[in-house]
Amino acid sequence: MDRIRALLGPAGDQNLNRVRRRQVFVSNLTRRIHFIKFTLFFVGYLWMLALPSPQLPSRGIYIDENALGPGQVNTYWNWGDVANADRYLEQLEGLRDSNATSEQRAKVLMAEFVKLGIPASTQHYMFTSSTGKLEGTNAYAVLSSPRTSGTEAMVISASWISRTGEGDGTLNLRGVSTVLALANFLKRYSLWAKDIVFVISDNYVDGMQAWLNAYHGETQSNLQADELELTSGVIWTALNIDYPGHSFSHLGIFHEGINGRLPNQDLLNSFHHISKWTGGVPVLLYDHLDSPQSDIPSWIPSNFHQEIREYRYRAKNVLRHIGYQARGRGSGVHGLFHQFRIDAFTMFGLPATGPHGFHAIGRVVESTLRTTNNLLERLHASFFFYILTTPERFLKIGSFLPSAVLISIAMMFGGLKIWSDAAWIPDTSVPLEKEGDAPGNKWIQRSRPVIPALSIMLYTHILGTVLFYALTISWFNNNQIVASTLLFLMVTTLLLCALFVPDQDGKTSAPVSQLLKALNLCFASTVISITTVVNFSLAMSLAILLGIPLSISSPSQSRPLRRAKFASYILLGLGWIFASEELQKALWDWEILRVWFAPFVCIVYTPLVLQAGLVCLLPS
Amino acid sequence: MKASLDLGIVFPVLVAGRLLLALTNLPDALKHDHQLSSPLTSYLNLQEGIYLFKNGIDPYSGGVFRHSPLFLALFTTVLPTSRTISSIIWTLCDAVGAWALVQIWRARQRVAQSSRDGLIAAAYLLNPYLFLSTLSLSTSPFENMLALLSFMFAAQGSASPSLLAAALLLHLSLSSILLLAPLVLLLASSPVSQLASPRSFSGNSQKIKPLLAEFLAYTAILTVASTLVSGGWAWVPQTWGASLTLPDLTPNCGLWWYFFTEMFDHFRPFFLMVFSIHLLIYTAPICIKFQYDPLYAAFILLGILGTFKSYPTMADPGLFLSMIAVFPEIYPYLRYPIVTTLLHLHAALLMPLFHHLWLNQGTANANFFYASTLVFACANGAALTDCIWAGLRIAIGEPQEGFVVVQE
Repeated sequence: MDRIRALLGPAGDQNLNRVRRRQVFVSNLTRRIHFIKFTLFFVGYLWMLALPSPQLPSRGIYIDENALGPGQVNTYWNWGDVANADRYLEQLEGLRDSNATSEQRAKVLMAEFVKLGIPASTQHYMFTSSTGKLEGTNAYAVLSSPRTSGTEAMVISASWISRTGEGDGTLNLRGVSTVLALANFLKRYSLWAKDIVFVISDNYVDGMQAWLNAYHGETQSNLQADELELTSGVIWTALNIDYPGHSFSHLGIFHEGINGRLPNQDLLNSFHHISKWTGGVPVLLYDHLDSPQSDIPSWIPSNFHQEIREYRYRAKNVLRHIGYQARGRGSGVHGLFHQFRIDAFTMFGLPATGPHGFHAIGRVVESTLRTTNNLLERLHASFFFYILTTPERFLKIGSFLPSAVLISIAMMFGGLKIWSDAAWIPDTSVPLEKEGDAPGNKWIQRSRPVIPALSIMLYTHILGTVLFYALTISWFNNNQIVASTLLFLMVTTLLLCALFVPDQDGKTSAPVSQLLKALNLCFASTVISITTVVNFSLAMSLAILLGIPLSISSPSQSRPLRRAKFASYILLGLGWIFASEELQKALWDWEILRVWFAPFVCIVYTPLVLQAGLVCLLPS
Repeated sequence: MKASLDLGIVFPVLVAGRLLLALTNLPDALKHDHQLSSPLTSYLNLQEGIYLFKNGIDPYSGGVFRHSPLFLALFTTVLPTSRTISSIIWTLCDAVGAWALVQIWRARQRVAQSSRDGLIAAAYLLNPYLFLSTLSLSTSPFENMLALLSFMFAAQGSASPSLLAAALLLHLSLSSILLLAPLVLLLASSPVSQLASPRSFSGNSQKIKPLLAEFLAYTAILTVASTLVSGGWAWVPQTWGASLTLPDLTPNCGLWWYFFTEMFDHFRPFFLMVFSIHLLIYTAPICIKFQYDPLYAAFILLGILGTFKSYPTMADPGLFLSMIAVFPEIYPYLRYPIVTTLLHLHAALLMPLFHHLWLNQGTANANFFYASTLVFACANGAALTDCIWAGLRIAIGEPQEGFVVVQE
């Protein structure tokens, strides 16, 4: 029996071996924890930098849902329809030149739909926000499906103001005339299995927000909107047409929705396929043309030039994506659809002197509609997590998600290490054997009272909530510069009240600063890893802004250094309050479109940084 | 700090705060939540059943109503079911539960009052899992209250009320039969902490048989009463049967629903049996191991129920977590409380998030939510194993330098 046991495992007491093995493992781990942490940070940040790299495994776009069958139909949109679109355009230009009000505009648009024999109506709406009132009138029409009972619908929309310069006021006249001409054209065919809803929304995004809310019976406290007289079934897909220029050279895809939502990638891929093969129009991501070769420094060997150009082009796309997604800002009118489970994107005709116009965009939309018309069920669940690096290539969830998660793991390790360190203190009562010897190998245990640290954390988060409510009152908006300074000072002063927590005896219990730092790191790590699945760009930005700064916060002996550290944390956490334009946009997004980026920053991000600031000030 | 946690102040303040919250419109937002109420405890189903019952239709003839006939009797005769009054009754249930928990603590410590009372009441009234379940008007708070009441009476030595509460609890939730064994042991011995000095069962084992008989009598009476109320035996397969045969696969925070959604039909009976027996097998070992401290055994079994029972809501693990407050003697021996806490933090954030991504936003699927319930199960499992370890470890005494305690 003993011989068998000896064959199976090492000699000696099983339990003793196990204990030794565990001790060796734990001591290896704790000895290398700094190395592991550093490696995780390094790999995580490097991974983020590598996201645009052509070397990172990305794959070519493909169509997952076979039912879509993109680009497999003959298109019938012809020059006659283009002429129609031109007539509509003339009419719209007349409206523009006569400075027609939105009410008048909507009435004219409605009349045009009615002339075609399509039931149409208008909807007046008004938003009240801290910046004032926002009014407009939408026009829409519902083309009933000749084949089914109208339980499902597709939307073709155009907003009155184009997305150029994020809605800087350029009119989307050609987009609107395309929609009108399409209504004229699509009505002649009996193959639609879904109702087609045409929406001409007023202004840039607010018109569509009002229309969608009314369509889905949602109430928003600051919105007064007419009820819709015409409705249809569940909307599955929506195409938003944005064609501001005279002609266009490329069609750009804008796909980010509010709060970081993305449409199903199959829709974008189908459009890409159709635009390229049916319409003959090259597709871009956003309005990014490939960057020119010339400005690469000449000292770089020429065989790297292609690589660098490629990286720069992809980096531009990825950064644009992160800019939209992290701030929860939609990249266009389509972004509002996603909250109602509608896959939508904007096709943007990149203004150019040629060669494409109404003929190409009409064919592309017609064919794309035929494709979405084929859908028998919703597009698949697994196709919502992606980053498009070029129009033809994308990163799958597995090739970008780990980068932020690695940072969050590093922070968690850091927090747990500090937590376990806090329980022990070297015993100085043991006499040192000789001068210069490190104080004792003997360690004594001390308690870790979490209540003060947790109270400070709770206090900062409440402070963040108060800050957020202070930002949304209209007084703040009217006196922004004064108010920003006042709020900044108020938060800083109130924050300093947290220093009145009772001081602990360092011998018997761990100092508050150490526990606060441990819990702060653990909580920040949790927030980052959980945000990755809702909004990767936001999680990535948090990982960059919080990762290193929160890990290096520490109290210090010298008073000026301590204050300097605190000041830098305050700036990191609250500095945004002086970026008035950005702040106003975020608040507008929150009030009108219910984008939760502004409350998230106030209630989660800022308090986390402020806690790190307090760690520096509290006695160690 | 400790002195301010006086029960006389803390308790009314917390209950008043809870009442205020219950009277906002939070319950309307929460009552559809799958994690807070299961098909067996849902308020909407209860109202449907009451409506059918009042209109002379047998509520058990459909497949929706799975509450005990005792609820029908209670809400059609004694209590009204308007939303506001329900919110108040549900909150009062939690208040009674918290009060019972404090009484259990006092009985365990053999004191008339202590400085920890307020803290224990707060641990029950402020536990978000319990708190939100009550706000969602799921009937789990009734189950928790009855479980705590039966242990309270048992700890105070009054056998009949305790057994009656246990019989009522059995009618609300079949799986609570697991708690009968520690309850009877508790009635036959004492609630005082014996964790540090294990020995064989010291109570009066002569008492066990009459106690069991009394419990059976109460159960039989309630069963007959239920049959009379509902006018037939149809309630048995619909209430008790449901927790064994799992007819409704609505997602919840437990481990059963996903498994049985994926299952081929011809394996169903076998795995239903395996899952049900799996729950039962813990009773004997836990009761034997902790025979010197039946209250602790009951506490562990509550944790097992919260992790593995068929239609759990957040309130079931919540009760286990709140009860940790009654056993402060094990705290120094817990091995990884921070890991458990962080697991619970992750689970508590991930579950509603993935639920939202799957069912509201439509970008994720059932696997996401199931993965988050697995995290939740890990968190509960971590708490459970750590409590079992600490409960056993305490008998060996303070850690000494140079010595390690291992598990054989």
